[in-house]
Amino acid sequence: MSAFQEGGRFPDGTTIGVAAALVALPFILPSVTLASELVVFAVATLSCAFLLGMVGLLSFGQGLFFGIGAYVSAILLREHGAATLPAVLAAALVAGTGAGLLALLAVRRRGVYFVMLTLAFAQMGYFAMLALRESTGGENGLTGVPRTPLLGGFGALAGPGAIYAFLAVLAFAAYALTQCVGASPFGSVLRAIRRNEARAEALGYDVRAFKVAAFAFAGLLAGLAGAMHTVFLGFAPPNVIDLEMSERLLVMAIIGGASAPAGAFLGAGFYLLLADFLSALWPRWLLLIGLLLIGIVLFLRDGLWGGAAAWLRRLRPAATPHG
Amino acid sequence: MSGQVLVFQVLNGLGIGMIYFLLSVGLTMIFGLMRFVNFAHGALYLAAAYAAYVVSLLTGSMLWGLLAGPLAAAILAVAAERLLLRHTYAMPHEAQILITFALALIVQEAVILGFDAQAKNVPVPDFLAGIVFLGPFVYPAYRLAVVGVAAVVALLLWVALERTRFGTILRAGSESTEMVSLLGIDVHRVFLGAFALGGGLAGLAGALAAPLRGVDPFMGEEALGIAFVVVVVGGIGSFTGALLGGLLIGVVQSVMSSVWPEGARLMIYGAMALVLLVRPAGLMGRA
Repeated sequence: MSAFQEGGRFPDGTTIGVAAALVALPFILPSVTLASELVVFAVATLSCAFLLGMVGLLSFGQGLFFGIGAYVSAILLREHGAATLPAVLAAALVAGTGAGLLALLAVRRRGVYFVMLTLAFAQMGYFAMLALRESTGGENGLTGVPRTPLLGGFGALAGPGAIYAFLAVLAFAAYALTQCVGASPFGSVLRAIRRNEARAEALGYDVRAFKVAAFAFAGLLAGLAGAMHTVFLGFAPPNVIDLEMSERLLVMAIIGGASAPAGAFLGAGFYLLLADFLSALWPRWLLLIGLLLIGIVLFLRDGLWGGAAAWLRRLRPAATPHG
Repeated sequence: MSGQVLVFQVLNGLGIGMIYFLLSVGLTMIFGLMRFVNFAHGALYLAAAYAAYVVSLLTGSMLWGLLAGPLAAAILAVAAERLLLRHTYAMPHEAQILITFALALIVQEAVILGFDAQAKNVPVPDFLAGIVFLGPFVYPAYRLAVVGVAAVVALLLWVALERTRFGTILRAGSESTEMVSLLGIDVHRVFLGAFALGGGLAGLAGALAAPLRGVDPFMGEEALGIAFVVVVVGGIGSFTGALLGGLLIGVVQSVMSSVWPEGARLMIYGAMALVLLVRPAGLMGRA
């Protein structure tokens, strides 16, 4: 069940479950817009959960790469008239490359220093956005991003349904790709680093290089989500790159549980549905999220997904614990 | 940039830098002692700034506000340590980080709940409202007073760390808390003392900064990011490192603000990246 930590397989039961949920979401949720928002943040949360669950890296900075993806895709669509699919993929690649470069610096420090650096990077991203006003629009963001056809003039993104379908396919691809990485030999080394960094190093693995690669992959996921966000909104608001975005992604990952990719999807869904419900009742609902976060860290260490998995295991004591 | 502007900006930077030092030294001290990263440290700065704002409104004097800020932050730090944080000392770093982050979120939301999300101005104490002449330079009296107060506090802190029993225990504790507790010292009371002191200093930073920048609910988050930069630059756990890091970051920010205003805050992180490349452990850090 805890695919990040125990060596997952691809495809497994959750792959089918995620596919089914993605198909069902627009019909279950009150609006297709909410469904679209949910899949965007599911991918972004996957980025945080991958780093934490797989490599043991706590990042307060994934919002930076989300923001890079959002801005790069907005610039490609708006200024260069790019088709949507290449713009989204290019934005993800730029974010992944940026994450790799920053990781070269950040992996010079470990443990809590690394965490502090990720938070500093997240702040840096926001100030960089303000400093590069001419390309990013500063506090106004980039408005009026056109919805160009998917590729070479084909596949118009006409209407919320088509946009959702496109985003859902990307989200499924991101989920499957993350599972593949988790099941690969590369994934095994990352798990070894999380369990015991010194031992992985002693076995001859270049721990820093693996961490940089993992960080770049997580940056790619976050950048993809950011680009999806631009396609979803048709607009890149400045809050896509602020520190609160980074914090929100991390909170979603912790609530859902970082021990498996499915936890990220669950966390993003739970958070957004709760936000949708509570924010109408009480504008300061984040206070409750703070309390919930403390409760989860103290009493439910693997988040909602971990809790659900443990509960399922208890129901079926004869079944093997995981694949 | 003319020489006069440069001198003015460096002076300004030293003032901001002293505030950054006060903000960061508690964070670095608590980390050095118990390997505990307090993500709620910025929230203490925030709470103190609002306490100073409220008290200065009620009493009509910012001077009382400057006293109330540190007190409020110290009380909040002690309450958090007693009620929640001491139960997390045995937990992994990640759990401590997430819990203190959640605490910061709660404080921030509570501030918005009690006031609103708008920034508010805080008056400078009346007798410091003027300007002073430093040879050929004109300088706001309050900014000069900030440098003075912070320098005196830094000196007192240094004396307290180097010359008092509590300071000796703090320094010994940052080498090995286990050894300190074997000597029959109640380390949990030392931890509590460190939280009160570190919180009070962050509170002083918040109260001093309030008239300079106003108060808003997001200043805590911003301060936390800056404190991390100072600590990474200076080397965590080091008093001198926090001082050097704070001053360096303050001067970089201030000087850059007249060269490239939009990019001044960005250059702080440039300075951090440079230090990381050249000295990964920070200026005064132990490897």
